[in-house]
Amino acid sequence: MNARQAFAEALLAAEPVCPPGLTTWNGSAPEKRFAVYRNTVTVGLVDALADSFPVTLQLVGEDFFRAMAREFARQTPPRSPVLALYGDGFAEFIEAFPPVAALSYLADLARLELMRVQAWHAADAAAVAAETIVRLLDDAAALPQARFTLHPSVRLLRSRHAVVSLWAAHQSEAPSSSLATIDTASAESALVLRNGLEVEISVIDEAAAIFIELLQQGRAFGLAAGQALDADSRFDLAQTLGLLVRSGALADLTISGSTTS
Amino acid sequence: MNKTMNAASLALALGAAMTMAAAPIHAASHGGAMKAETEKCFGVALKGKNDCKAGAGTTCAGTSKMDHQGNAWSMVPKGTCEKTMSKTSPTGNGQLMEFKEKKA
Repeated sequence: MNARQAFAEALLAAEPVCPPGLTTWNGSAPEKRFAVYRNTVTVGLVDALADSFPVTLQLVGEDFFRAMAREFARQTPPRSPVLALYGDGFAEFIEAFPPVAALSYLADLARLELMRVQAWHAADAAAVAAETIVRLLDDAAALPQARFTLHPSVRLLRSRHAVVSLWAAHQSEAPSSSLATIDTASAESALVLRNGLEVEISVIDEAAAIFIELLQQGRAFGLAAGQALDADSRFDLAQTLGLLVRSGALADLTISGSTTS
Repeated sequence: MNKTMNAASLALALGAAMTMAAAPIHAASHGGAMKAETEKCFGVALKGKNDCKAGAGTTCAGTSKMDHQGNAWSMVPKGTCEKTMSKTSPTGNGQLMEFKEKKA
């Protein structure tokens, strides 16, 4: 192990151990100087998670959150200097973290919060022109083969818990007033995207989430709609498309190659 | 499985969607108040309380605070979850002892 590795490892080690061979320019104690730096690193990472997961923090309280985030930061230090996107894997960590096993919705809530941050920083993309869609409508026979390109910020969450309601409740000044009415055991799906400069979170039906997911994977329009309808016969295609169009989530719509169906 | 929706239905839905998108939609967060009741209501997007919240790293974090070496294994969540949990289970006090020793 070289000196740089030893230094990096000591920064996040569970026990404060000063890496060997460390010297100071002015003769002060290296252990003390190193401890200051170590503290700064840990606190910086924990602060970063606290900033990106504010509702997760509110749910478990600041003391608990900071202690949990610290464990995560040790195991999973950031791989990029861009702290704004730090938090990949935090939801999975929470899922496997025994002290919060009773809060089965917490991991999905963290997922939702990470999606929000990711959507915020996703690339821009102009919405598809209405004329393009109108032109496709003229050639309706080819529509089942149409492929959609979604806005890069689009994220989907299918949760077994009412995490969107939980998240929404925490956007008010006094979340406790509305929390009691939320049944955390009811499933909710969310569409997260950035519309212009704002990140928007919409509760959608699971079938709608399936449909959008398939579109995102590059599946054909007809197939995606068919599968969503399979999943739930009440799937409302027009409403779902309307939501996508209105929120600028459709970046492009093409019929690749010749029409085969 | 792998059923495909027919072209006519797709065209109808897409046409309707275009009409819908053109119609005005009531703002999601008028007055800044966010409602927790998120019924299955399409098109009403929720927005965060703090719109400039772009994730971490926007301030010079970590310079003044002291890491309290908190140990999550010996702590219990004490946040709003206590108000949310009523239906499912207690706050998990019972786990405290069990998991404390796992921390080697």
